[in-house]
Amino acid sequence: MQYARKPDPVDVLIVGMGASGATAAKVLCEAGLKVVGLDRGPWLRPREHFSGDEIKFLNRTYLWSDPRVNPRTVRTEENETAVPTPFSMVPQMVGGGTVHWAGWLPRPRPSDFRMRTLHGDIEGASLADWPIGYDDLEPYLSKVEWAFGCAGLDGADAHEPYRSRPYPTPPLPPTRAGKRFYEACEKLGINAMPIPQAIVTKPYRGRTPSNWTSFWNGYGDPSGMRSSTLDTFVPEALATGNLELRPESYVREVTVGPDGRARGVLYIDADGREVEQEAAVVLLCLGAVESARLMLLSKSRQHPDGLANSSGQVGRNATFHEYLFAVGLFDDAEPLYGFPGNYISGGSFQFYETDHDRGHIGGALIGASHVGQPINWNFPGRPQWGGAAKDADRDFYNHAMKIGHTLHDMPVASNRVDLDPTVKDAWGLPVARITHKAHPNDIRLAKWQVDKNVEILQAAGAWKTIPVYLERGRASGNTCHQHGTARMGTDPATTVLNEWCQAHDVDNLYVLDGASFPTATGVNPTLTIMANAWRCADHIAGVHAKGRTERLPQGRSGRAAAPTS
Amino acid sequence: MADWPVVHPPADPDTGERLFFDDHEWDTIEAATARVIPTDHDPGAREAGAVRFIDRYLSGIGYVYAAADGSGFLRMSGKLADAWRARIEDLRETYRQGVRDLDAIARERFGADFVSLGDPEQDAVLEQVSGRPRPAPVGLTGEDGNPTIQVYAFDDGLSFFDALVAHTRQGFYGDPVYGGNRDRVGWRVIGFPGPESLKDTIDGTYSVREYYVQDYDWGRLIPHLRGVGRA
Repeated sequence: MQYARKPDPVDVLIVGMGASGATAAKVLCEAGLKVVGLDRGPWLRPREHFSGDEIKFLNRTYLWSDPRVNPRTVRTEENETAVPTPFSMVPQMVGGGTVHWAGWLPRPRPSDFRMRTLHGDIEGASLADWPIGYDDLEPYLSKVEWAFGCAGLDGADAHEPYRSRPYPTPPLPPTRAGKRFYEACEKLGINAMPIPQAIVTKPYRGRTPSNWTSFWNGYGDPSGMRSSTLDTFVPEALATGNLELRPESYVREVTVGPDGRARGVLYIDADGREVEQEAAVVLLCLGAVESARLMLLSKSRQHPDGLANSSGQVGRNATFHEYLFAVGLFDDAEPLYGFPGNYISGGSFQFYETDHDRGHIGGALIGASHVGQPINWNFPGRPQWGGAAKDADRDFYNHAMKIGHTLHDMPVASNRVDLDPTVKDAWGLPVARITHKAHPNDIRLAKWQVDKNVEILQAAGAWKTIPVYLERGRASGNTCHQHGTARMGTDPATTVLNEWCQAHDVDNLYVLDGASFPTATGVNPTLTIMANAWRCADHIAGVHAKGRTERLPQGRSGRAAAPTS
Repeated sequence: MADWPVVHPPADPDTGERLFFDDHEWDTIEAATARVIPTDHDPGAREAGAVRFIDRYLSGIGYVYAAADGSGFLRMSGKLADAWRARIEDLRETYRQGVRDLDAIARERFGADFVSLGDPEQDAVLEQVSGRPRPAPVGLTGEDGNPTIQVYAFDDGLSFFDALVAHTRQGFYGDPVYGGNRDRVGWRVIGFPGPESLKDTIDGTYSVREYYVQDYDWGRLIPHLRGVGRA
């Protein structure tokens, strides 16, 4: 191993420059702190590197984390040997998941923060309240929507909680499939609305909406129309002169001093040299799977079970939001078109809150979408070859739609991330091993909601509907949403982080990605992750960096209960 | 990755040049792709040049990633290049063995190499290789199981048959820069507009905006908006 000259210490070191890391970088740099941002992946330039190439983006691993470089293993039960599986493979690059995403940007609901208060202890689940409420996050939800760029329709969501600002730009036009969805919902008395999306639809903050290719979900956007941190918060942080961004820097360990506090990190740079970077504060922003893995890799005399893991809770209560859906095939003459929009059009929060008559707790945000691009469009049972396959493509590519939801899965203590005992990544380090088995509530929720989606598709006139349930309770990690491996809470014996996402055990270590989520919420998590990262970064700049401490009072009336329907 | 140079030019759809397959392998795979997406009143995989697409892909790591604007291909380096070298090596072996298996079954059941058989006999060989009957048309019943769907579909670890199906599809519907989808025939068959070039997807030239609903009124689509007086 070659060693590089040790760089000077900085105020804040951020590991992972995706949704949460780039948000924190912007806030901290604008507050005047000196920041080094490390990312294990490349720093791509959207206008030079992104285009509508389905093979490159969906079938080869240009953005997706390559399973031969960064393997991951999965099993259902503790006593099984985990099998290498590309599970929840978020892009590992500057911008992270915001580079390839469809960009659903729904807000969480007040009930999401109070699942245990609302439902008590559910057998087999580890329900918990968040130490923050919707009202704590609301100002930051608005900040992200406006700084990052968002499209939505004010007043359309009958179930929307309080918002302090309207949407910055209006929604995209409805797709043909979206229109069918709206019409079916009206027939069934369901309130539908355009799903808020991380995209700008009119000239906004120097961005011009010019990418109407619909090569969106899974692709990088060369135009800056869709919001990614690569194209917004990263350049904004750099413009302050306070950020030094080092891509292709693989962090292998968080180092600690004799006092057990974080000293910095050891990383392998692009030339294969080992570098130690010291900092006053270290932020982990790698995503819930990789942040937990790095904490578990960072064993020391002071932290023998992994960094900040005196509770034994690092890696536990992992949730993954499996995407489940029903496909409708249509045989009428009017095409729905299989390509524009690509995963986002109309949606509904009608079924989001708990209704005990359904036999499960929680609910779902549903969304109507298209089936995808020509190579990879699919539905269960699609003939794979021969004349039947060609006919299926000709007859249904432009005559199909999906209604799906991300599963509000229950936290379960044994669903976790730890280190695989045998499988190593391309740097020779143990990979993340996922142990995950769905809670019975997950299976019931998915079944009820998929059946409801079938009903809506039938009301929309589908010739045939195909439900996709949570098969055998096994998640495939198909949303890339990951949360819960380092819960925030008030009790250091049962949680890893406090309400500022600061480690109970290590006061200069923060984890700002979805790892902090005590429960999964039923919405796509990135808006919540970014708003929470902004909130915590405000705290780091305004309180921690000034040598002060501050606790958020608990049990406030402002953390209002959600209406139950 | 951010600074990989552009090396090979785009695949020439008219070239007869073979980069990986020998003549027999080429002819065998071409015939097999033509059973995966057959020619009927519309062009099929044979006309689209799916075999050229597969031959380019298996030739090394020079045709894995097109440059964003389609001007050529990226020369990879680093750990991703190592991963792709190993992946392509595995796929080469999968295809070479796959051709041998097609011929072995063809000779055993019909007394000739796969490429010499008629369509029904080739289909029978492919059924045997796949372990399943040839798919029936989509009907109102008939699915068993309900596998979920990933946004991506990688080809690591696929059997020969599954790789053949996946790559034929990519060679029929993928961007022509990779050597398949000649004259964009695949897109025309299913009514996908598709860009003239990858460059057109960068600079705003290619747009599917016309496929959205053009004439709409949110107040009509969303009754709640009428209730709150916003429409």
